[in-house]
Amino acid sequence: MSIAYLLVALGLGVFALAVWALFWAIDDGQYDDLEKHGESILEDDPPGP
Amino acid sequence: MSAIESLHARWSLDAGRHQHVVFIVEGMRCAGCARSIEKAVRALPDVESVAVNSATARVSVDWSGAGRTGLAQILAAVERAGFRPVPLAGDAASGEFQHERRAALKRVGFASIGMMQAMMYLTALYGTSDIDASMSALMRITGMVLVTPVLFYSGAPFLVGAWRDLANRRLGMDVPVAIALLLAWLPSVVNTFRGQGEVYFDSVGMFIFFLSVGRYIEMSVRHRGLTSSEALARSLPAQVTRLIAGGAEERVAATDLKPGDRFLVPKGAVVAVDATLGDETGIALLDESLLTGESVAARRQGAERIRGGSINVGAPLTLTALAAVGDSTLAAMVRLLERAQTERPRIARAADRAASWFVGSILVLAAMTTVGWMLVDPARAFAAVLAVLVVTCPCALSLATPAALTAASTQLARLGVLITRADAVERLARVDTVVLDKTGTLTEPAGRVVDVRTSPTLARERALAIAAALERGSAHPLAAALREHARADVVAKDMREVAGQGIEGIIDGARWRLGTRGFACVGADVADATTYLGGPDAAFASIDVGAPLRAGARATVDALRALGLDVIIASGDGELAVSQVAHALDVHAHSRFTPQQKIDLVVALRARGRRVFAVGDGINDGPVLAAADVSCAMGQGSAIAQSAADLLLVHDGLEQLPRAIGAARAALGVMRQNLGWALAYNLAAVPLAALGLVAPWLAALGMSLSSLGVVLNARRLAGRAP
Repeated sequence: MSIAYLLVALGLGVFALAVWALFWAIDDGQYDDLEKHGESILEDDPPGP
Repeated sequence: MSAIESLHARWSLDAGRHQHVVFIVEGMRCAGCARSIEKAVRALPDVESVAVNSATARVSVDWSGAGRTGLAQILAAVERAGFRPVPLAGDAASGEFQHERRAALKRVGFASIGMMQAMMYLTALYGTSDIDASMSALMRITGMVLVTPVLFYSGAPFLVGAWRDLANRRLGMDVPVAIALLLAWLPSVVNTFRGQGEVYFDSVGMFIFFLSVGRYIEMSVRHRGLTSSEALARSLPAQVTRLIAGGAEERVAATDLKPGDRFLVPKGAVVAVDATLGDETGIALLDESLLTGESVAARRQGAERIRGGSINVGAPLTLTALAAVGDSTLAAMVRLLERAQTERPRIARAADRAASWFVGSILVLAAMTTVGWMLVDPARAFAAVLAVLVVTCPCALSLATPAALTAASTQLARLGVLITRADAVERLARVDTVVLDKTGTLTEPAGRVVDVRTSPTLARERALAIAAALERGSAHPLAAALREHARADVVAKDMREVAGQGIEGIIDGARWRLGTRGFACVGADVADATTYLGGPDAAFASIDVGAPLRAGARATVDALRALGLDVIIASGDGELAVSQVAHALDVHAHSRFTPQQKIDLVVALRARGRRVFAVGDGINDGPVLAAADVSCAMGQGSAIAQSAADLLLVHDGLEQLPRAIGAARAALGVMRQNLGWALAYNLAAVPLAALGLVAPWLAALGMSLSSLGVVLNARRLAGRAP
């Protein structure tokens, strides 16, 4: 049954990883404006050099 | 603090000894918080009034500047009550929004991941008796390790809120929530270490998740409510380029601009204050969409007023300031919006009081449930008490009206109708009579001189020139009609305005009067007309000014009738002009009404149980608008009428009025549905929970869904086609 202890430890590791990734994404501003980036694809590129 | 101080300098109304400030408070959750802030600030000396809006987290304070209380003392009092004041408008507030939003999102995310993980381990214990003891202990410990951080991180706002409520000796909505959370968590921890008995970690995790989602939605609603005035306030540039003597330029703060200063507005920049082109030639092209919602560029030339907040879309301009920042159109509109957002409407205040009473009864009921189950079946007492505490939802009660009002004001703003008082939506929904002013409301504000008849000694051109000189600088629509007849050598001095009667002044040493027949032409035999001019040596003239009906006036009147409203015209103009309009629109009309008669009409209608909606424009309308149940001023009307009005029609779109009334009625309907639903949910759920028929997790779900239902029902309004 010792495999269960390993799996629980792994599960907690994945949990920590998921929380870290989410917090990083939020602090990075990725959730600040959910529409803007989707619509930016429709905008014209700035004139090139 | 310095940000707030500078903001105060910028937005406060400093009328001598009277001072006024508006700011946002962080950490406000419910009506209870609003009341404790109100109490704390009111305890200060010299404070005249405090308004706290729990939905928008805004605090508005009026105090007299006797020196005993300053802004610093007010902010300190708010902090002592356990809240953090934050400056309003500009980047500071949007930064706070972002911070609050990110923090709330992290709490929701953490709770959701933690809850799912905990559920995974703890479902292994559901309904199994043959599980290995060490394995069962492992699952319980893992659940505890996952849920405890969720409780103290994601659940922190509830625990802190409840602590603050209790420290201030009152019952807020967080109290039963925090009791339920701790009541479920503590025994679970004890049972985990004892190795026997039930654990409720999964319920705790799920409850916190649902609660944080509810809080997040609530926060979004509040932030959205702020955006309309935020957008206006934030759009003003902080600095402008001022021209000084000798053609040199200097950068100064927009707040340092004084009337008469000349400043540059590059293409694409926002005009900081109300200004004119002055002596500059050329035409200014301006995007006034921020102010009026009108997207077609407006053209202004010469002495025409360019409103602060419009965007220069044409060539670079050199403008002459007409007013300081605090006195410009934009600042006035922002202040009116702010007033609307800090006042709590009556219906919301009633709901707040009910919610606070409700929390008290729930705690009593929970205690009764405990005693009851202890007598019947002690084993089930715990789950039942937990369910009672969790399932009740005062949040739905408190959210019911603010959510609907926010949605309604968003929709009205899209129609071009700005709300300046919090009660306006509710009152607008109940009106049954509309009193319309004629000039400037049903007809175009700029009229034309249609007919002039003079006494033999007075030439027609001279009569018009004298009338134009007397009306010079007046905001009355008549002035616009007469402007083209003005002559540079005819100037009036010592002018005096008699409200509702007319104006008098000295021209070439003689006294002339312009106004009603009784005021200007006593005893004279003149033809019926809209305006009369009287001077020395029996010189009289009657001037007929006609104004074309506004586009959509007929359709508006018909639509108002279709909504079941009585339409009445009350005008100060002569019978001739009024009856034409009344006939064209098929409306009952009163002509030649003085302001006092208009007020009397409104008062008489209200005495008969009518709910009166007054729509007006001119200076004379200010008191009439104030006397009505609810009032609307045309956006281009004079400043006095605007500040008395509950609603502002920003781009003169008369046909928006029936739609606004329709939107207000829909909002009132949603408010009633919401309150009814919240009440029905609680009345149904609490007895079931007390009887032990609701599992704690189901209670958590029900509570969150009832809040969500209220918010989503209100969102329906915003989605409605205007």
